[in-house]
Order: sequence, then structure tokens, then C-alpha cells
Amino acid sequence: MITCDLLVIGGGPAGISAAVAAGKAGLKVLLLEERERLGGQLTKQTHRFFGSVAERAGTRGIAIIKDLETVVAQLENVEISLSTTALGIYEDGVSTALKSGKMIKIKPKAIVVATGAFEKFLPFENNDLPGVYGAGAVQTLMNIYGVLPARRILMIGSGNIGLIVSYQLVQAGAEVVGVIEASPKIGGYLVHASKIRRLGIPIYPSCTIKKAFGQDRVVGAELVRLDEKWKEIPGSQFTVDCDAICLAVGLNPLIDLLGQSGCQFKYIPELGGQVPIRDESMRTNVPHLYIAGDLSSIEEATAALLEGELAGLSAAKQIRPGQSLEARMEEVKTHLRALRSGPVGEKIRSGLSKLTGEALPTPSPRTNAIDELSRTGIASPANLAGVLPDEKRKKTRAYAVIECYQQIPCDPCVHNCPFGAIKPFSDINDLPIVDFDLCTGCGQCIGRCPGLAIFTVDETRDGDRAKITLPYEFLPKPVREETVDLLDRSGKCVGQGVVKSVLNTPKQDKTTIVTVEIHRNLVQDVRQIRVVQKS
Amino acid sequence: MRISEHPILSFRQNKEVHFTFDGKEVTGYEGDTIVSALHALGIWKLSESPVHRRPRGLFCAIGHCSSCLMRVNGVPNVRSCVTPIEEGMVVESQNPRGDLYDHV
Amino acid sequence: MNDDKTIVCRCEDIDIETIRKLIDQGVTSLEEIKRITRCGMGPCQGKTCGPVIAREIAMKTGQPMEEILSPRSRPPFGGVLFQEVLEGIDDEE
Ligand SMILES: Cc1cc2nc3c(=O)[nH]c(=O)nc-3n(C[C@H](O)[C@H](O)[C@H](O)COP(=O)(O)OP(=O)(O)OC[C@H]3O[C@@H](n4cnc5c(N)ncnc54)[C@H](O)[C@@H]3O)c2cc1C
Ligand code: FES
Repeated sequence: MITCDLLVIGGGPAGISAAVAAGKAGLKVLLLEERERLGGQLTKQTHRFFGSVAERAGTRGIAIIKDLETVVAQLENVEISLSTTALGIYEDGVSTALKSGKMIKIKPKAIVVATGAFEKFLPFENNDLPGVYGAGAVQTLMNIYGVLPARRILMIGSGNIGLIVSYQLVQAGAEVVGVIEASPKIGGYLVHASKIRRLGIPIYPSCTIKKAFGQDRVVGAELVRLDEKWKEIPGSQFTVDCDAICLAVGLNPLIDLLGQSGCQFKYIPELGGQVPIRDESMRTNVPHLYIAGDLSSIEEATAALLEGELAGLSAAKQIRPGQSLEARMEEVKTHLRALRSGPVGEKIRSGLSKLTGEALPTPSPRTNAIDELSRTGIASPANLAGVLPDEKRKKTRAYAVIECYQQIPCDPCVHNCPFGAIKPFSDINDLPIVDFDLCTGCGQCIGRCPGLAIFTVDETRDGDRAKITLPYEFLPKPVREETVDLLDRSGKCVGQGVVKSVLNTPKQDKTTIVTVEIHRNLVQDVRQIRVVQKS
Repeated sequence: MRISEHPILSFRQNKEVHFTFDGKEVTGYEGDTIVSALHALGIWKLSESPVHRRPRGLFCAIGHCSSCLMRVNGVPNVRSCVTPIEEGMVVESQNPRGDLYDHV
Repeated sequence: MNDDKTIVCRCEDIDIETIRKLIDQGVTSLEEIKRITRCGMGPCQGKTCGPVIAREIAMKTGQPMEEILSPRSRPPFGGVLFQEVLEGIDDEE
């Protein structure tokens, strides 16, 4: 029997954060991770994370996990056991785990469970054909093993996962034939939707899959339109050719392990389904049993890190009373509340109030009309007009156009302007507002925006030439003086331009910053470039 | 198909590992699981389903769903998506389901 | 593939028609459906099929999801070989 103060199950962001918090408070911690590496979902995330800079947003998931690994490795009282699957937590507090073909027993003083989530499945005809994959599987194949999942992929679900995995598929060299969404609106953050729209990927709202075609593997799919009551519209079926169907229809908390522990659950769809009951300090109804991360509610990495810290601190407080941990615990709680206070946090807020009765502040009213945008992923002229400087200012200096129209909890841009030209946020859900008196159009912010939603425009010169600077994360990279295709917000080619500069130093961390000379009439249309493939 | 170049990630070409799939010699690379190696070769159908004998491929790729069960070195019901390939490994489709007695 | 089927449980190869027929016959709890069909008793332990079947029951009977879903999982989580259990026994004095 192995003994320790705290057993942490799951080595994703939530589990690592719990282990670090408890380790720093002096607890002897054992961290179990089923896979051969730490990181959970983060190991597959090649994109820059949205969220709070304090929790490393603006950095790629794969880099965040490297940082976390370093921090946890420095703590001598935290032991990490990889390739170890926890098998059960029993009512007497003993846990069993499987490590290198051997069953081990652990008797800790407290347990934090942070096992994350499991992908939902969707019933449709032939949904078991090879080529029908979960989004996580697609990411595992391409981002961990370097294997292209398929050539032409249909994405089911327009939540953040569906949108982000679509983008990653294009980066890996695949084609995404479309993203379908049963709801009339795009589910994920609109910056992520805009990112794939300008690559030419269509998004079909009010649409679902009826059937996959194929004998031994997927060769196509039949889709159908839905009315406002989510009922199929007769005769609206259409088919697409594709060789894989990727399901990104949501996650369920992975609660299996808690089944025998005595932990109570509640069905709260807003939080992802059946979730463990817990209080604001992440304590379940079972003494000494804590939870954190996607297991407690399907959210994001920032929330997972904060919840993990809270769970680790709560456990430390219980096992070693007398330490002054309350102040930090309150700080973390405040931070979590702020994170969830915006319009996109509404679902989580209502879910949490069902769970704990936590009262959360009411959101600040929306400052921009985004209805059209949330159906299409394409900003309207009215959206754009709200973020541009006046005509006089346009002529005097280059300027930044921040196409971030939806309040989401994300703040890297504010922290990355060397001139303080993006107004400080009072709330992490604020929209960025550029002070054009301070903005020089330097473009430092471009590569740091997780939504890749910042562009700079220089229309100070006389004549019909102007310049646009934009982020670019594909291969091949453009070179100076090369002529490239110019794409608008829907991915349509609207002309050609000449590349004037390509910034690709380690500081850009693979988000190449490209400046293109284009016709001045196009400066507010062009949002993506395409390198013309030489045959 | 393997991803040869990627704008964000770099994949090291590791040592070749040889194994057999349903009697055929196939090659993967160190670090591959059975599923990633087979998938890279265009082999998507791993086994047939236990009752209706429908073709089955991977679904979750993290060992949670059981869609990828195969017979490995004679042992049935191995989750091929989380099992690393080894030199000389014998991988077979499992049709329809592992028998209790062949391994005893 | 022989015919078009909507599979709810990959482990035990159960299609949605089988489940719907049972619900129509009055078998409206996850536990009963599991005992009749083996749904949820396969290697993944109902992770994929559980929520799908619960939704079918909810749609047909109007029962709230809350009442249909009950955490029935027992350790071990995931498959374990008897050999692995035996290996562990050596540790006990
Ligand atoms: C495509 C995609 C894009 C995302 N983008 C963002 C983003 O931009 N910004 C953001 O903030 N968030 C993002 N997220 C969400 C974020 O990744 C998750 O919310 C976060 O990883 C949850 O952390 P976790 O620690 O709770 O769970 P996980 O990261 O899932 O980690 C759980 C860990 O527990 C392990 N485990 C499970 N069961 C056992 C067991 N029995 N024994 C031992 N170990 C076990 C698993 O192997 C895993 O490593 C994204 C998610 C996806 C899928
Ligand atoms: S594909 Fe799900 S267990 Fe292997």
C-alpha cells in the first residue's frame, strides 16, 4: 500500500495545477496520469489559447504544457507517475491503479480527481463506419502521431472544438468540406469561426447529419436542414463527398471513477451532463474528495487551471490546517467568477447556480450587434464600421483593426501593445477598443491574438496602393516580392498583391506576420492570403 | 498518409519498426501505436463488429471507446489505439470477437 | 456492410431500433435495457451509449434525464487482466 497526503488523478491542466498548489503548500503529492505524457487536452492544442494572460493565454497549448511540466518537476514533494491508470476509488478512501502490468493500492489523506471529459457520440445511420472519428481522435492522429486523419473531412459541430480542429486540419494539409451545426447559430467563439471562413470553409447552421455512406470506410454523407424547432425539413437533404466525418458534438465529464466513491451527481446539461456535486472550493460530498477541470464542468483550460489550484489548496487546508491559504483561495474564486461573468459564460453560470446556488454577477450588456456574424462567421459592414478610425486618422498613420466583436473571456491583446493603445479591460470579457491617438500600427499585437483577429492597415500613401499586415500560419510561407492571392472574409479570391515583408523570427513563434501591398479599395476586404502554388 | 511538413509542429522520423497485420509485413515508426501506423498506411478497417460483422475503425484514439479492439500476439481485445508497435508484433483483425479459449 | 444501421453501442453492436423497440414495449430504464441487451456492459462501460440511450428514453417517455441517468459504474475503470491483479498481490504482506 502506497501512502501520501494527496493523490491527484489525471495529469491535464487541472490535475497539474492541483498538484502544484498542494505541493507548494508542503503536501506529499502523488500525481497519476494514464498516458505516457502529462498535459491532457493541451498536448494536442497547437493553437494559441484564448483566456487570461495570467493563465498563459496567447501561448500555444503545447507550450503551456511545457511550462507546467517544468513547474511541477521542480517540486520535490510531488511524485509523477505516468502510464498509470486509476481504476477505482472506494468508500474507505483507498484507490487502485494499474501501472506497468501491476495493480497498486494507494491510501492518501485526500484525493483530487481531474480526469477530464469524454466525447459525445451521435446516432445516425452507419455512424460506426471507419472514418467516423471523434474530434479528439483526429487531433491525436495528426498532432501527436503526425498522421493525416483523412483528405476531405466533414466536421459535425461548430463549437470551439469543431472550429479549432477544422483549422488544425487545414494546417496539417487536409481539406475541410464544411462544418455543420444543428443550432441556427455558430456555437463557438466567432473569431475562431471567422478564421476558418476566410480559408473558404463553409459553415452550415440549422443542419444535421442523417447518414454516412460507404462500404468499408466513409465516402460521403447525407445532410439535412432543420427548421427553427430543430425538426428535419422534408426534401432538404443534400449529400457531400468526404472520406471522414469528424464528430465535435460536445463532451461529457468522465465521472466513471467516482461511481463507487459515494460521490453524488446531478444532471446539469449546461455543465456537460452528469456532474459531481461540489461546493465553491471544489469539495464533493465525500470528505477529502475534491474535483477540478472538465470533470466538474466542461469549460476551458483557464478555468481548469484555476479550479485545480482551488482543489489543491482546499485539500492542503484540510490536511494541514493552520496555513494561511484562504487569501489565495478567495483570489482564485474571484478570478473564476470574473472569467464566467461575460455573455459566453452565461451557460456555465446558469449551470453552476443549479449546482451550488452560487450567485454570479450579471453580465455587462452586449456592446455590438453580432446576429448576422453569429450565423455566418463573417463580420458585417456595420460590425467593421464600429472598429475603424475616422477618415482623417486613416490618412495620418497606419492603424490596427481588431475584428473581435463578441465578448469572450480573453485578454492577451491588451497586454501586448507596447504603446498602451488597447484600452485596459475592467473585465476580462471586455471588447478591445483601440485608442487611435496612441496606436502606431506597429503590428506587435497581431501574432498574439488567439483569434487571429487583428490586422494592420496602412493607407497613408497617395495613389491606389495600400498595405495590409496579417497573421499567417500555413505552409508554404510566402517570400518577399512574391505575388499572392488575396482572400476576403469568406475565402473568395478578390485579387492579387505583392508581399512586402515576412516576419518569422522565434519571437513570432510560427505565427508569421506578412505585409502585402494591395489596391487601396481592398484594405477592408482582404483578411487572408494564399500562396500561389508553383506547378 | 504521414504529414511531411507542418507549420507549427515538427515530426521526427524515428526508427522503422516492422510488424505484421493479418499476415502481411508492414512498417511503422518508433513511437507509433498500432492504429497510427496502420492508419498512415491507409488501413482504416481494423476489425469487424462482434454481432453484425460491420467494419470497425478507430473512434476515440485514447483507449476509451473499444472501437479498435484487435488481436495482438494472440491476445484478443487489445486496444490498438493505445498499444505501441513493437518489432515482430503479430497484429490481427478480431473477427468477430476474441475467444476465451485460444489463449489459455 | 450489410445494411444501414444506426449503432448506439459499438462494444456490443446494438442498433437504435433494438433500443426503440424495447422502450416501446415498456422497458424504460437503463438498467433493464442493459440487462436485456448487454448495452453498457462492454469494454467501454457505457461511456458512449449511456447518454444516447438515456436521451431516447427521455424523448419517448418524457422522463427527465436526471432520473434516467444514474451513475452505475463500478471499479475497475477500464480493462484489467487477472494477471495484473495477481501481480499486485505480491505487494501485500
Ligand atoms: C480542440 C480543443 C481546443 C481547445 N482550445 C482551448 C483554448 O483555446 N483555450 C482554453 O482555455 N481551453 C481550450 N480547450 C479546453 C481545454 O483543453 C480543457 O478545458 C482542459 O484541457 C481541461 O483540463 P482537465 O485537466 O480538466 O482535463 P484534460 O485536459 O482532459 O486532462 C485529463 C487527464 O486525465 C487523464 N486521465 C483520465 N482518466 C484517468 C485515469 N483513470 N487515471 C489516470 N489518468 C486519467 C487523461 O489521460 C488526461 O491526461 C480546448 C479543448 C479542445 C478539445
Ligand atoms: S479507438 Fe477508442 S479505444 Fe481505441
